[in-house]
Amino acid sequence: MGDSQYSFSLTTFSPSGKLVQIEHALTAVGSGQTSLGIKAANGVVIATEKKLPSILVDEASVQKIQSLTPNIGVVYSGMGPDSRVLVRKSRKQAEQYHRLYKELIPVTQLVRETAAVMQEFTQSGGVRPFGVSLLVAGFDDNGPQLYQVDPSGSYFSWKASAMGKNVSNAKTFLEKRYTDDMELDDAVHTAILTLKEGFEGQISSKNIEIGIIGTDRKFRVLTPAEIEDYLAEVE
Amino acid sequence: MSRGSGGGYDRHITIFSPEGRLFQVEYAFKAVKASGITSIGVRGKDSVCVVTQKKVPLMRGPWSNKQGTKQLSFRFRYGYEMPVDVLARWIADKSQVYTQHAYMRPLGVVAMVLGIDDEKGPQLFKCDPAGHFFGHKATSAGLKEQEAINFLEKKMKNDPAFSYEETVQTAISALQSVLQEDFKANEIEVGVVRKENPVFRVLSTEEIDEHLTAISERD
Repeated sequence: MGDSQYSFSLTTFSPSGKLVQIEHALTAVGSGQTSLGIKAANGVVIATEKKLPSILVDEASVQKIQSLTPNIGVVYSGMGPDSRVLVRKSRKQAEQYHRLYKELIPVTQLVRETAAVMQEFTQSGGVRPFGVSLLVAGFDDNGPQLYQVDPSGSYFSWKASAMGKNVSNAKTFLEKRYTDDMELDDAVHTAILTLKEGFEGQISSKNIEIGIIGTDRKFRVLTPAEIEDYLAEVE
Repeated sequence: MSRGSGGGYDRHITIFSPEGRLFQVEYAFKAVKASGITSIGVRGKDSVCVVTQKKVPLMRGPWSNKQGTKQLSFRFRYGYEMPVDVLARWIADKSQVYTQHAYMRPLGVVAMVLGIDDEKGPQLFKCDPAGHFFGHKATSAGLKEQEAINFLEKKMKNDPAFSYEETVQTAISALQSVLQEDFKANEIEVGVVRKENPVFRVLSTEEIDEHLTAISERD
C-alpha cells in the first residue's frame, strides 16, 4: 500500500493507547442497519434489515447478503460501499485458493484472510479502516460455522451474534432463545423474531434479507416468497 | 506526525469523525447541490428517461471519458455489451475508493446511469459520492432532489407501468413542479433509451416541445 504522499498511517495511537480511527469505524458500524447470524446444529442463517431510502428504489436491485463461495455467505452492518470491496477481495482469495489446491477454501481460512485485509487498512499509509463488520456463515468439513469480523481485523466464532443499531437488544434476545440443538428452520424463525424486536415499521419480505446454508453446503439467499412463508409461520 | 482523534483532519480527508461519519463525503454531497441544477430520471415499462436543466454550457464531467473507455474494454474482453448495472457498480466502486484513500478526494458528482438490459429490461441506476448505488423506478439528483423525490413517490406509489410518452412527461412535469416555473424546450435536456431502439438519444427541441404541449393540454 503506501499511497504516494501519504506514506504514513492515518490510524495512530492516542495517548491512552487507543486506535481512535478504529473506534470511530465501530461507531459507523453501530449506526448501520441491524444484522444477525445464528448457528444451528445443521446449518447457519444470516439475516439483515433492508431499509431503503425511498419507495422509488427498486429493492430487487439491492442485495446485502452475498455469497463468497458456493458454501460461504456474508452479511454486513455499516457502510455498504466498503462491504463491496471486502466481498470482491474475499472472492478473489477464495478463487486463488481453489486454483492452487483444487478444493473449496475452509471457512476459517477465508475469514482469516478477510480479517487480514481489514487489519491492513488500519495500519497502511493513506487509508482509513473499513466502516463495516461482517458476519460470515459457512459449512465445510468442520461443520456449520459463524464468524464475525470487525473493522480492526479481529474475528471471533459465534453461536449467534448481532451487529448494527439494535445490537444490544438483539443479543439479549438471542441469548434467551438460543439452544445448542436448534435446527436450521428454528434458527430462521428465531432470526426473524430477533429482527422484529427492534424493527421500525412493518416487517415484510421486501425489507429484510435472509441467507441460509444447510447440510447440502450450498449457500443461498431466500426468495421473497420463501421469506413470506416464514413470516406467516412466525405470526 | 501524530493524528490523535482527528484533530480537525476528519474534515479535510476521508477519515472517520468521532461519530463514525466521513465529512469529506458529506461535503461532496453538498457540492452536488451547489451546482444549482436538478436532474430527474424515470423508468417506464419499456423505456427510461432522464431530464436535466440546461443552465451551464454542456459540461463533460470526470466520468464520461472513464466510462467510455471502460465500456469499450469490457466489450473487448467479454464479447458483449457492458450491462447497465455492471457499469453503475464500477462507477460506485471507484467512488468508494476515493472515500477510503486519503490522497484522492471524493468526486462531487451523482451519476444517473440508464439503459435497456437484454434480460432485465429498462434500468435506471444512481451512483453517489459515497459509493452507494441502487436501481430506481424513478429518482432525482441535485439542488431540488428531495422535492422531486416526494413528487415522484406520489406518482409511482402504485407501481405504474408507464408508456414511453408517460415516462418522458412524468420526468418533465416533475422538474416543472419542483422548479415551480414553466420552461421552454431549449432550457432543458432530455435523454431517452427505448426497448425498440436501445440507443441513448437526446431529444430535439421540437420533440421536447411536443411533450411540453401534451403536458399543458393534459392539466
